[in-house]
Amino acid sequence: MHDLAGEKLGDRLIAAWVRGDHLQFADDEARARYQTRAQLIIDTVRLEDTGRIPVVPAATQKFALDYEGVTFREAMTEFDKAFAAYVRQYEDTDFDAWVGPEFIFPAGMFEALAWNRVRLPGVHLPADKSFQFVEAEYMKAGEYDEYLDDPSDWVLRKYLPRLSPKLEPLAQLPPLRNMLVFHQGLPDLVLAAAENPGVVEAMAALKKSGEAVQEWYGYLERIEQELGGRLGIPHLLGAISATPFDIISTYYRGWRGAIVDMYTQPEKMKALMERLLPWQLQYGIDGAKSLGHPIVTVYLYKGADGLMSDGQFEEFYWPTLKRLLLGFIEEGLLVWVFTQGKYDSRLQHFRELPSGTCLIHLESGTDAFRAKETLAGSQCIEGNVSSALLAAASVDEVEAYCRRLVDVCGAGGGFMMDFSAFLDEARRENVKKMIEVAKRYGRRHAS
Amino acid sequence: MSRELKEAIVALRMDQALTLAKGMLADGTDPLAIIAEGTEAMQEIGRRYAEGQAFVPELIMGGEIMKSLFEEVLPEGGGPGSGDPKGTVVIGTVQGDIHDIGKDIVALMLGVGGYAVHDLGTDVPVDDFVAAVREHDPDIVALSGLLTSAFDAMRSTVEGISAAGLRDEVRIMIGGAAVDENVRAYTGADGWGSDVSHAVELAAAWTDGGA
Repeated sequence: MHDLAGEKLGDRLIAAWVRGDHLQFADDEARARYQTRAQLIIDTVRLEDTGRIPVVPAATQKFALDYEGVTFREAMTEFDKAFAAYVRQYEDTDFDAWVGPEFIFPAGMFEALAWNRVRLPGVHLPADKSFQFVEAEYMKAGEYDEYLDDPSDWVLRKYLPRLSPKLEPLAQLPPLRNMLVFHQGLPDLVLAAAENPGVVEAMAALKKSGEAVQEWYGYLERIEQELGGRLGIPHLLGAISATPFDIISTYYRGWRGAIVDMYTQPEKMKALMERLLPWQLQYGIDGAKSLGHPIVTVYLYKGADGLMSDGQFEEFYWPTLKRLLLGFIEEGLLVWVFTQGKYDSRLQHFRELPSGTCLIHLESGTDAFRAKETLAGSQCIEGNVSSALLAAASVDEVEAYCRRLVDVCGAGGGFMMDFSAFLDEARRENVKKMIEVAKRYGRRHAS
Repeated sequence: MSRELKEAIVALRMDQALTLAKGMLADGTDPLAIIAEGTEAMQEIGRRYAEGQAFVPELIMGGEIMKSLFEEVLPEGGGPGSGDPKGTVVIGTVQGDIHDIGKDIVALMLGVGGYAVHDLGTDVPVDDFVAAVREHDPDIVALSGLLTSAFDAMRSTVEGISAAGLRDEVRIMIGGAAVDENVRAYTGADGWGSDVSHAVELAAAWTDGGA
């Protein structure tokens, strides 16, 4: 979509983000550092010859928290402690961007609702372990038609009650669409609320959960200002969206349920993907606007090699993913496509997109050297330095691998150094060596 | 003997497979023979997976068909377990990690491969592994974990088994998308695998004794 001057949304956001309009800079030096890094990231995604290789983090989690001995439990409840840990980590490690606690959600958000989908540190898991999502069948195999017919009703009266015992009373409400069919809809609706005290309690639980989110957002904003405004480090993670197959298989049906559906009711599954696609596109665009961030991130869950055949990928996964990415690209936005798992056979598909629009994250299971061959001149790649290498190998081994990445993947630009996954266990000296190789060795080899 | 049931399962046709199985039961076929044919079908799917011709969805769908077949054919809740097992395996996802799909597929394929499999589930404490080793006297302990933070739990589990004086009695394999030789060395396990084929090959190498 273009505005009156013919400028795309993405162009406007890129300019504002590189300037750092959303930050209050501590001094001119911080501003200059920030702007240089932000411009470098944009130019690298656009495959321009930058003369140096940026080094970015997929996300630092336990690795950062260990700087202050903060547990995952504390990071979800005592934000000041986690704040101090993140600041120290980013002061100590010279990254060109930051990604940190955006997925270490506030425990209170989940606990107020007794949210079924998570196992929390300090409650179900040891305090020093990351919380984990429980993938289960929150949508039954026979509910496609019901969902497609009235998605909001399905969310309110089926999905939310299954996700939270505190929200089970919502299942007792009459369908909201009754308000649309006959004037008696109003008495039915309000009567159900008055006769079921659980509905009021459900609203109170939502409020309490929301208060935890308010506090957490305040903390994320403080980190943004501290790391961006004082240290001059851009935030790589902006708006987030997802692709239809991943949402159905991860959040509704579970992986097993989704696989059975691929064989037993493929057309219904595809109809739901079509329904989801425009919502997911709009969610990403709205997020980019509200954050003032030109890069939309799409985490990929179930499309990896081995998780489905090439035929299934081409039938169920890629078509809606491609349209989602093209939708963002059409707006002038850039996309951080965060592949998870092995993607060797899938990467060729990204050549179908306009060049210089995506930053494609690679985990260690993907052959980065082959990826460079596949995507050179088409899309920027980043990642691949394995967690195992950073946790268990020697500094020399890390250096050798990272130099090879610079030599092969960095040739001609279009590459950022990054680890394979969210960083938990890692030796600091190994991470610092990875950064040093990108900054020193990479400077000579990027162009 | 007709191989229609096997063919239907290999082709992942759930309804057809169940209809055939019901027909065989009605004709007086021994339920164990029906299960054996289903097991052969799963082995065929596993072979195709190992050769790169089948993928995780085929394994999972095949597993779902087998689950329904057991329910249909052995309504009393019986399991496979006929004949002498090739070996005994204790498997579980280590403490702090609740991912189950990789572990479930490995347990399924080891089961159809002729092993007696004791699945301890996910987020399994070290003590539970140790107790299971004492109880079942397995040849193999298989530790699963998807998260990188599982490395420490794998290491603690190996240490726990050692501390209980049981380390020399079992071979320990670790599995998960992020494991490699570095992680194997770090955890003190005997072998590693990043997918189900590796796990099955490793189990065969450890238990066949050159057979």
